[in-house]
Amino acid sequence: MTMAILQTGELPALAQPTIVVVAVVYFAIVAAIGAWATRKTRTASDFFVAGEGIGLLALTLAAMSATLSGFAFIGGPGLVYSVGLGAMFLILPAAVTSSMTSWALAKRMRLLGEVRGLITVPDAIGARYRSPAAQGLSGLAILIAVIGYMATNVLALGLVIDAIFGTGLAWGVWIGMAVVLAYSVAGGILAGVYTDVFQGSLMAVASVLVFVYTLRVGGGMTGISRTLMAADETFLAPFGAMGPVAALSLFFVFGVGSMGQPHVIHKFYMLRDPRKLKWYPLLVTVALLVTMLLYFGVGVAVKSLVVEGRIAPLGTPDDATPLFLLRFTPVLLAALVFSGVAAAIMSTVNSFMNIGAAAVTHDLPVALGLRVKNELFWGRIATVVISIAAAFLALLPGALVAFLGIFGWGLFASTLVPALAIGLNWEGATKEGAVASIGVGLLVTLFFETLAYFEAYRFPTGVSVSGLSLVLSILVFFAVSWLTRGRAASQLDEDVKLVMSV
Amino acid sequence: MARRTALLAFLLGTLAIAAAYASAFLPGDPPRWSAWAMGTGTAVVMVAAMALGAARAGRIGRLKLPFAFVFVVLAGGFAAALALPPEAPGAALFLGLPLRAAIVLIGVGMLPLFVLPVAYALTFDEMTLSEADLERVRRQARALAPNAAVPAIAPETTPVPAEAEAV
Repeated sequence: MTMAILQTGELPALAQPTIVVVAVVYFAIVAAIGAWATRKTRTASDFFVAGEGIGLLALTLAAMSATLSGFAFIGGPGLVYSVGLGAMFLILPAAVTSSMTSWALAKRMRLLGEVRGLITVPDAIGARYRSPAAQGLSGLAILIAVIGYMATNVLALGLVIDAIFGTGLAWGVWIGMAVVLAYSVAGGILAGVYTDVFQGSLMAVASVLVFVYTLRVGGGMTGISRTLMAADETFLAPFGAMGPVAALSLFFVFGVGSMGQPHVIHKFYMLRDPRKLKWYPLLVTVALLVTMLLYFGVGVAVKSLVVEGRIAPLGTPDDATPLFLLRFTPVLLAALVFSGVAAAIMSTVNSFMNIGAAAVTHDLPVALGLRVKNELFWGRIATVVISIAAAFLALLPGALVAFLGIFGWGLFASTLVPALAIGLNWEGATKEGAVASIGVGLLVTLFFETLAYFEAYRFPTGVSVSGLSLVLSILVFFAVSWLTRGRAASQLDEDVKLVMSV
Repeated sequence: MARRTALLAFLLGTLAIAAAYASAFLPGDPPRWSAWAMGTGTAVVMVAAMALGAARAGRIGRLKLPFAFVFVVLAGGFAAALALPPEAPGAALFLGLPLRAAIVLIGVGMLPLFVLPVAYALTFDEMTLSEADLERVRRQARALAPNAAVPAIAPETTPVPAEAEAV
């Protein structure tokens, strides 16, 4: 369950010597890992899939880091503070999603990657349906979503850097982008994976420590619950201030949609030994749940502190984490968390850079019947171009960046879940079904999100564009595959069929 | 059989969710059944996705039990959250949480962790990928492309016999 949605509001100033020193040390470690990875990146396979050479622990932490962005540390606790337990429906599916994705996708994608030498997620779609059109269309959807996601993430990174170093937002954006770009361009996904190992560990440790402090400050979970129940009967109700349909819709979109997040499932190609997948769901689920303790703990603790009058109501919900850390935890822990926020954002941006570059240099040319000769070189160039485009978008005035960021998850889900999660497990799925579902996901998401942006149309309460487009793309996939079922068998190569039968 | 059932369940669960969304467009407040359809449909789709991926030779074997358990936890957790009455401020707490919150956070949000990944690991060799499976895939893949991995999209080949199952 990726949460690459971010706050776009200003953070309080964090420029204290300890926080600055920890952040500098953190950036230095990331730079050192990038330099090490650069020496090991020699081919396009190294650049895009780490040469199929990472171990289980690295896969676990890289998947966890790519899944979580700064939203888990800043926006998420703010959302809990605002709407109560309803906000938890966004992360509750984490107990199921890694196992579900492992059964539905991990083994088949890893084996298909090995058999066909795949380097991108659309590669798997192209191979499954023997369809350059399906591969190109899914590559296009990924590229559109990636640029929007990257813009919001880079903006958030700029806000964090500005809050720590006082650089100003524009410089914060460019400095943050330059750091991620440096290690991503030079070391590719290999640098990304090993910085993720460092960053993921940091995020998990920081989250557990902060959770302990939230319980101490709030008088334990019982104290927090008693305070909140006396003041607001809806806050700890199962759906909080959200309606049940809206909360359950979040569970559906972030649960089922997790099988279509390319920056996470792409990492299955990288695992050295496919039999190590055995322990992947257990490790990644524990890592995710541990890291999300902060999301819940800070949200409820800050609300309870406000109810008790120990702190003033927040000016903006995104202040929940910075304010709690600065007021109630040791400054070293606060520094670790702020570095953890930067870590979460940077690891997500790195993953997006990589799959965006692969869409440009690999998937779209394949769809047009072309082959890029030096994919490593052009992959690096594409990474730079996409990153600069995202940074410019991030600095555009107005709400455009928020608009670009909100539909990424839904676009990934609606364009990839049917074609991959169902298609890799059902021989009756057809190329026509895959193309139609990807097209519907793309069009429905872009059309309704654009209408919403211009306030031309508003969905009723409980209905989200992401949920609706995911449902429609699944139904279209089933319907068109059924209508064209006579062609299913002829679209399946023997080696793909072999992988699907295992 | 298990794969066909899982596909049908996936489709029916998605239709239930579609019905829940569609009901929101009706005039007035959303009907009470829409939240039930959304919760049950989501539980069905998630369990169906797992069963679809886990099925081998049309069977899911011992995995029936963990999948059934998780369906009960998800659908039952959502049902309890929808059906149980609100707690009074002085009501008993469970692990520091009011009953419905505990059901959602600990039941739906944590219980599957103790079952699904463990079931995945314990059945991995038998149901997911044994050493023999891996060797067979590698051997047959080499036979299909003797010198290297075949291109991501293979050239047109003779259609294989029509044995794809369709819902």
